[in-house]
Amino acid sequence: MDQSVAIQETLEREENCTIVSFFCSHALVYGLLIPEKKDCLFETKIFIYNHRRMAITGDDVSLEDIIPISLDFAVVEVFCVVCLILGADTRVRVSYCEEELELRLPFGSHSRCFLTEVNRAWSGRSSLRVISLAPASTTVGKLNQHRKTGLLSDFYFVEINRHSSYSGISSREDRDDLVRSSSHTPSNKAQILTMPQFGLRDTLIRCELLKNEESYTYLENFSFFLGTYNVNGQSPKESLRPWLSCTLNPPDMYCVGFQELDLSKEAFFFNDTPKELEWTKAVSEALHADAKYALVKIVRLVGIMLIFFVKKEHAEFISEVEAETVGTGIMGRMGNKGAVAIRFCFHNSDICVVNSHFAAHIEEYERRNQDYKDICSRLQFRQLDPTQPPLTIMKHNVVLWIGDLNYRISDLDVDNVKELISNKDFETLHTYDQLKRQIDKEAVFDGFLEGDIDFQPTYKYDTGSDNWDTSEKCRVPAWCDRILWKGKNIEQKHYHSHMALKTSDHKPVSSMLIVGRINGEAYKKTFEDIVRNIDKMENECIPSVSLSQREFDFKDVKFMQHKAQTLSLFNDGQVPCQFEFIQKPNEPTYCKPWLTANPYKGFIAQGGSVDIELEIFVNRTTAPELNFGKQMIEDILVLHLERGKDYFISVTGNYLPSCYGTPINLLCQLREPIQDMTQETLRKLVSIVLNTEKPLDIPKELWMMVDHLFRNAIKQEDIFQQPGLRSELAEIRDCLDTGMPDSLPGSNHSVAEALLLFLDSLPEPVVPYHFYQQCLESCSNASQCEKVISMLPQCHQNVFNYLAAFLRELLKNSASNRLDVNILATIFASLLLRSPMKQDFAEKRKTQEFFQHFLIQGSS
Amino acid sequence: MAKQYDVLFRLLLLGDSGVGKTCLLCRFTDNEFHPSHISTIGVDFKMKTVVIDGIKVRIQIWDTAGQERYQTITKQYYRRAQGIFLVYDITSERSFQHIMKWASDVDEYAPDKVQKILVGNKSDEVDKRQVATEQGVKLAKAYGMDFFETSAFTNHNITESFTRLAEQVLAANKKDLDLLRMSVNDELNLTALEEEEGLCDSGTGDQGKGCWC
Repeated sequence: MDQSVAIQETLEREENCTIVSFFCSHALVYGLLIPEKKDCLFETKIFIYNHRRMAITGDDVSLEDIIPISLDFAVVEVFCVVCLILGADTRVRVSYCEEELELRLPFGSHSRCFLTEVNRAWSGRSSLRVISLAPASTTVGKLNQHRKTGLLSDFYFVEINRHSSYSGISSREDRDDLVRSSSHTPSNKAQILTMPQFGLRDTLIRCELLKNEESYTYLENFSFFLGTYNVNGQSPKESLRPWLSCTLNPPDMYCVGFQELDLSKEAFFFNDTPKELEWTKAVSEALHADAKYALVKIVRLVGIMLIFFVKKEHAEFISEVEAETVGTGIMGRMGNKGAVAIRFCFHNSDICVVNSHFAAHIEEYERRNQDYKDICSRLQFRQLDPTQPPLTIMKHNVVLWIGDLNYRISDLDVDNVKELISNKDFETLHTYDQLKRQIDKEAVFDGFLEGDIDFQPTYKYDTGSDNWDTSEKCRVPAWCDRILWKGKNIEQKHYHSHMALKTSDHKPVSSMLIVGRINGEAYKKTFEDIVRNIDKMENECIPSVSLSQREFDFKDVKFMQHKAQTLSLFNDGQVPCQFEFIQKPNEPTYCKPWLTANPYKGFIAQGGSVDIELEIFVNRTTAPELNFGKQMIEDILVLHLERGKDYFISVTGNYLPSCYGTPINLLCQLREPIQDMTQETLRKLVSIVLNTEKPLDIPKELWMMVDHLFRNAIKQEDIFQQPGLRSELAEIRDCLDTGMPDSLPGSNHSVAEALLLFLDSLPEPVVPYHFYQQCLESCSNASQCEKVISMLPQCHQNVFNYLAAFLRELLKNSASNRLDVNILATIFASLLLRSPMKQDFAEKRKTQEFFQHFLIQGSS
Repeated sequence: MAKQYDVLFRLLLLGDSGVGKTCLLCRFTDNEFHPSHISTIGVDFKMKTVVIDGIKVRIQIWDTAGQERYQTITKQYYRRAQGIFLVYDITSERSFQHIMKWASDVDEYAPDKVQKILVGNKSDEVDKRQVATEQGVKLAKAYGMDFFETSAFTNHNITESFTRLAEQVLAANKKDLDLLRMSVNDELNLTALEEEEGLCDSGTGDQGKGCWC
């Protein structure tokens, strides 16, 4: 429903309200008022209304606050991890002058519109229309509380805009960017958390702590009665009850300060006075009658005295009580001016109470500021642990500062002052108060708060009366006697003077402060719970996958036989994950050369899965070591998840040895099929030469293939040029490795290719590597070439000649098989004369030239 | 007043398969105990935040595969640890004897100033005990380590042992910490410091892809 009507009723005629949306569960409405006339002097303002019911009429809303959109106004969006959820409220921080507050706007176009208008108003600071009210969802009470305690800033995670915009020169574009950024970014809390660069963890903890603040603070409030009285050297002549027992309920603590307790020389020089006892007695007799109090500490410096009483039942929770004094009087040291202070620990809060008497005289306010600074720096409490540096006043959680601060009313003559007083216009009078002005200038009492003064100045009266000073000096009345505080969770219940007491030329002042004690145990527990939850969340957000299998066994792997098994990864974690098989130390790749994982890296969405093919393929490079058991089908893959765990996947299997990938000299020693030999025998064959029998002239496998071709394929068209069938190749391989059949299976082309593959897979080529260079050098000279061949090891030489002879036979049938010298030289030279390194084209030509001699010649 | 900075470091659990490394970790981080044994095949880790001496310490605890076949790989994780738990099972003499081997691997592969602690787990299984407490004490003394008998099952000495090792790591890195106390930087990441020194494979090697993080 439209609340603009209700708002409109509260506005002036020339102001107009057009849009209002409404967020029922909270009791605030924010309005943006833009002046109608373009050059109008008054600024656009945000009006904050409190409302009751549904804000139907003007009576239902009441104005809470006005924020002018002036030069020192800034609005930035606040990103909060916990609310980075699509559809969450938008949070913006509005700052103006020294104030900052957070507005929560409900998700939706109204909020965007509102922010757009605020930004437009800011950049233009004038416009023709009067706009819109958007609702909000935070209570002013809360805001005020935050403003007082300074907690507000703790709420923010990321501040997009550094406050450069304060200067007022920020451009419209900047603003627009801000508005754009006010759209919602869907995000995954967990993901952000795991990104250390955002440092969000601490802020998240802080935020959670704040959210749970109620569970550990304000559980117990304690009332502190603070009293300050400049007694002008007098002895107590009347009961102090009207001052000290002015509260309905007995306070939990009494901190009572006196100044000018004794103005005598004895007190000044010897710091000794009977008045200490007199006034202490007077105080203890005047404490609230409904409770029993224990005197905790008295501290006095000449005439400045502070007495600390605590209700009996709280006494046991007071610890680490220390008292100190600092003189700032004559020579900057003497005790006629200065401060006394008592610190103590109450439950878990460190509290410091200071009673001070600053320099006198109206014009000496800077001296008073100096006194404050001196006291802050010079007053130090010893620590129980001597290795710890001494505690200063400001290191305490709560500082309560009372005393005759001696700040006066300036810039007003005595008659004006008295007139304002008789009119009870303390608010106006307060603007002339030096202390207020100095605090506003941040010259003194930075961070301290003082309640509103709703009592007439406490100085200076004719003793024994309520009459203003009638002496010659006719002092201007002043609020010399003050009570300030600093710390979180403190609320003032009253701030009074007590006219009934007439002993002195000052009136005593009292204040009751309610100090919320942080419940240490509860705080610790809350903190630990939060940390544990975040740890838990973080642990849950470590990328994780489940694997369909951890061990893969590949049985009977054969040469050039592709085998694959599927590894399924399922992302069972709470975040998307990036996986990759990573390299192991001392290994050049993530797996052994005969193995591949496909894909070896990738991305899996949350709840998604990916199939990875683990493929084994043994080629001529990897076969030799596997043939003789130097290596096994055995590997461990490390599957790494980015920012997550590592999984080990083991791959095992057995390789069936093959003539493929076995050196010629070894094959010449095998009279049986290679797979009939035990691995043991094979290994022995490699290590020692078994010359039990004369080796075969050429490997029987080679003979079987060549013989097969000689018998069946001598006239085969396109022999060695047409590829064979993969399945037949496998059959031929198995045949060669397991038995000695009379003929080989498969087509001629397959057998031909099997032969080429056999030559290609030889670990040492037919012309061994170390003869290669010689071959190149002698390629142009036929007899030189023959000479080289004659130097080859016997079995290699046999194979070479055998093949050359076979190829010459083929060439005799070139009419049918359409082969010529060039074709065969091209094909076979590259297999027989392999370069140990990369071969260039010129070398290739030379190897062909070399081999051609053997194809052309008629004899061998 | 809580200090505003964090320390992050890595602890590593080592020991034979089945001594209860994963259970120790689960008990410490999640306060859970699963009696069934599922071999860790790989390297798992969990985070835990503790406050020691007012310092917020975030511990990354790595749980490694204990099986022998994986040891060549798991050794590569040692050098990234600041603290190491050597864990045996008091009901397994064998696992106790293997501590020697684990310790010598640590000497070889872990950084010089790595902190070590000896843990005899399964202290609740008194009937099956094969390793006397004194043997553990003696061995720990020989290696100059602290010693705890723990039970992940009964939650005996779990927090104590983890905290002790974390304290030792903190003490060993005190110099860095003290520097930090004076600097404005609000997070000390011991592991990150190391990585900056180029001890991490990632990004440095030309093959590039191996990161043991």
